[in-house]
Amino acid sequence: MTFLSSTLTPDSVNKVHDAIICLAKFSESVYIEAHRHELILSTINTSKSAHASFVLNGGRFFTRYRYSPGISRGRPATDADERPFACRIYNKALLSVFKGRISDPKEKDTAVEKCEIALEDRPDKAECRLVIRMICMHGVVKTYKLTYEPAEAMHALFDDNAVVNRWQIQSRLLREFIDYFGPKTEQLDMYKENGRVTFTSYTEKITDGKEILKQPLQTSVAIDTLEFEDFSVEERLHIAISVKDFKAIVMHADTISTSVSARYSLPSRPLQITYEGDGMLCKYTLMTIGDYRASSTTPAPALSADGRLLTRDGSRMASVPVGAHSASSMPPPQRPASHKYASESFTQRTPRPSPPPPKASLDPESLFVPQDEDAEWDDYQRVDQSEDVLGWDASGDHHGVAMHFSNDERGTNESSQNPPNDSSTMRIAPTQRLSEVRGLFD
Amino acid sequence: MTSSDNSSAPSFYAISSSARQLFLLLRCISFAPKAQVQITKEGIRLSAEDSRVMQGLAFLDKSLFSTYNYIPPRKSSHQATNDAGDDLESDDDELDLPPFQISLPALLETLQIFGFSETKDRWSSRDSPYAGGMNGAFPRAGSAAAFDTRVLGMTGVCRLSYSGIGEPLCIILEESGVTTTCKLVTYSPEAPEEIPLRRDRLAQKIIMRSSWLHDAINELSSTSPTRLTITASPTAPYFMLSSSGPLGSATVEFSKDPKLLETFQVNRRSVNTYKYSLIRATTKAMAIASKVSIRCDEQGVLSLQFMIEVEGGGVSFVDFRFVPFLPEEADEEAPDDEGGEESEEYDEDE
Repeated sequence: MTFLSSTLTPDSVNKVHDAIICLAKFSESVYIEAHRHELILSTINTSKSAHASFVLNGGRFFTRYRYSPGISRGRPATDADERPFACRIYNKALLSVFKGRISDPKEKDTAVEKCEIALEDRPDKAECRLVIRMICMHGVVKTYKLTYEPAEAMHALFDDNAVVNRWQIQSRLLREFIDYFGPKTEQLDMYKENGRVTFTSYTEKITDGKEILKQPLQTSVAIDTLEFEDFSVEERLHIAISVKDFKAIVMHADTISTSVSARYSLPSRPLQITYEGDGMLCKYTLMTIGDYRASSTTPAPALSADGRLLTRDGSRMASVPVGAHSASSMPPPQRPASHKYASESFTQRTPRPSPPPPKASLDPESLFVPQDEDAEWDDYQRVDQSEDVLGWDASGDHHGVAMHFSNDERGTNESSQNPPNDSSTMRIAPTQRLSEVRGLFD
Repeated sequence: MTSSDNSSAPSFYAISSSARQLFLLLRCISFAPKAQVQITKEGIRLSAEDSRVMQGLAFLDKSLFSTYNYIPPRKSSHQATNDAGDDLESDDDELDLPPFQISLPALLETLQIFGFSETKDRWSSRDSPYAGGMNGAFPRAGSAAAFDTRVLGMTGVCRLSYSGIGEPLCIILEESGVTTTCKLVTYSPEAPEEIPLRRDRLAQKIIMRSSWLHDAINELSSTSPTRLTITASPTAPYFMLSSSGPLGSATVEFSKDPKLLETFQVNRRSVNTYKYSLIRATTKAMAIASKVSIRCDEQGVLSLQFMIEVEGGGVSFVDFRFVPFLPEEADEEAPDDEGGEESEEYDEDE
C-alpha cells in the first residue's frame, strides 16, 4: 500500500497553482511522483520535445510530508517497490482545485488556512483517489477526490558533462524580453557575439504553392552579457528553442523572482533551464534546433558559413537520429537527412528579403568557413558517435549518455525504428567541403 | 392618473426612480423564458419555473417604487365593466388582477434599454465565479464615473402600467430627456402551481452568508457534476454539499460555527439530491444577495431564500424552490430529466 500525506500552507498552495498553470502550457496531464523526501510534478509535451518538472522539497515546501512506498502489494518486496509512486492526473482537475484563491480580497472569509494532500493506493480498495482537502476559515472544508491513472513518470535525461554553454540571469529581465516576442512566432534563437546576446523570436515563411501558410516574422532583443549573472557561451553559436515553452518558463520563473540558468551543449541537443526558490526546484529540458538562417533564404554571400550550419540543421528534426544514417551511406556532407530536409525547405520557401541580418552577417569574416574547418568535421563525428538514437529509460538514471526523454514502454519501439548502426566502423572520412556540396540541392 | 374614476385609467400604475434595481432583482430569476406576473396591493410578484422542479420568485415590493397605484377590480362596483372583473367570482369585494405571463428576457432587455453601460461592464468583468456578493447591489460612489448619470442625479424614471387582461404591460423609461415606451405582450397564465414547501415540517433551516454558498457551489463546478447532494445533520459534518463527476468528486463541508452558519436548525440527518444545473441557475442571486436561508422540508423540497439589499437600504427577497431527485434513484446515474415524474409523485403526496 502506498501512502502519501502532506500539508501545505496557503502560500504553497498558490505556488502549486502557479506550477500547474505552467505545466498546463506544456501538456494537458500532469505526472505526480512521490519520493521519500520530495514530490515531483512533471509533464512532457505531446511531441516529446519539452519536459518540465517541479521538485517540491518535502521539508521546505511542505509543512508536513510523509510518504511510505508500497511494500505489500500481495507479492514479496521487489525492486519495483522501491520505485517512487507515480500517477497521471488530468491537469484541468488540478487547476480547478488549486485555482487562485488568495488573489481575491473579497474572499478573505473563505481563504484557505491549510491544504492537505493525501493518497492511498491499496490493492484492497477499488477506489483510488488523490484526496485534496482545503481547510478554510470558520471550519469550511472543501474536499476533492480526483481520479488518477497509474503511470510511469517520465524523466528527461540531460548530460551534465556535455554542457559547455551556460548563462544565468534574473527572471525579471527575461520577463521584460518576452513581451517583445510576437505572439505568432514559433522559435527563439539565442546567439552571442561581441559581448552581446541576441534573442530572436521568429517564424519562417512557409508556402504551399502560391498559398502562404505562414508569414515570416522576426523580433530580436539584444542585451549585453554584463546583464547576466553568469555567462559562458560559445561565440556565434545559434541555438533555438520554442518561444511558447520559453514564455511559459519565464512567466513562471517571474512568479518566484529568482535567477534562471540555462545550460546547453550544441544545437539539436537538449537545453536545460533551471531555477529554484522556496523549496521548489524547477527544471525544464527542451530540445533545441540549430541555426535557423541556414535553411532559410539567407543571401548568397553568407553561403559558406551557412553551409556549415546547414549540416547541423539536418538534425533539426530533433528526434531523428541523423547520426545513424550518415555513417553508412554517403560522404558526410550529403547526409540523407539533411539533404532531404534542406531540399524540402528550399522548394517550399520562396525567397524573401532576409530580415536585417544580425551582426554576424555584417562581419565579413563570418562569411567564410573558418580555417579550422576540419575541426568541424571532427565535431560531427563526435556527434554521430555519441548515439543520437532515442533511448528510453524509466529507471530515473540520470547518468545515461547524452540526451532524450526516457520511458520504458516507448524505448523498444523507438530504438527498433532506428537501429543504431555501428557508425564507428562504417565511417568514411569526409572528403568534400560543404560549400561545394551545396550546389547539389540548391 | 390621479383619478381612479377615469375608466381608461390603468388598474396598475407604478413609478420607480431606478430601473436598475428592478433589473437586478428580476435578473435573478432569468433562468426561464417566461415569468408569471401577479400584481397585488403589496407589490409585484414575478415567478419563473423550469420543468416543474424549480421555481424562482422575485417580489418587487411597493416600497421599491416611488409611486405605486393599484386599483383592484371590484366585483360590484361601477368598474364591473372592466374585463378583469368579469370572469372572476369571489366573496371578497376586491379581487386581484388575474396573473399573466410575460417574456422575461424582453422585460430585462427593456429595463436596461438605456444600458447601465458602465456598471454593466463592471459586472461582466466581475461576473467571474469569485465575483463576491457586493457588486451591483450596493451604491459604489467611489467607482462611478464622474459623468455617471447616477452621480449627476439624472437617474431615469421607469413607469410601469397595466390595464387588464389582454392588455400589454407598458413600460416607459425616461432618462436625460429621452423617453422610451415599450409595450410587452402579455400571455395567458399557466397553471400557477407552486412547489409546496411544508413550513410546519421543516427538516432543516440554515441561514448563512450568500457569498459562502456561492463559493461552495462554484467549488463543486470543478467536477462538472450533474447532481448536487445536500446533507444536513445535527452531528458533524453539519452541512455538506457534494457532487461528483468524471474527474472526481468534490465536497464542501461547513462547520456549525455561528460565524459561518448564522442559524442552524437541523433535527435529524437529511440527504437530498438536486439537479446541479438548476441550483447553479441561482448564482446570479447568490452573487448579489447578502444572506441566504436554506430550508428543506421532510420531503426534501428545498427552498433557497435570498435576501438582497437594494440601493436605499431596503431589503428584497428572491425565493427559489427545488424538487429533489427521488431518494431511490439518488445513487444511480439516471438521466437528468426525470423531474417531471417526481413532481407528479410529489403532487400525489400532497
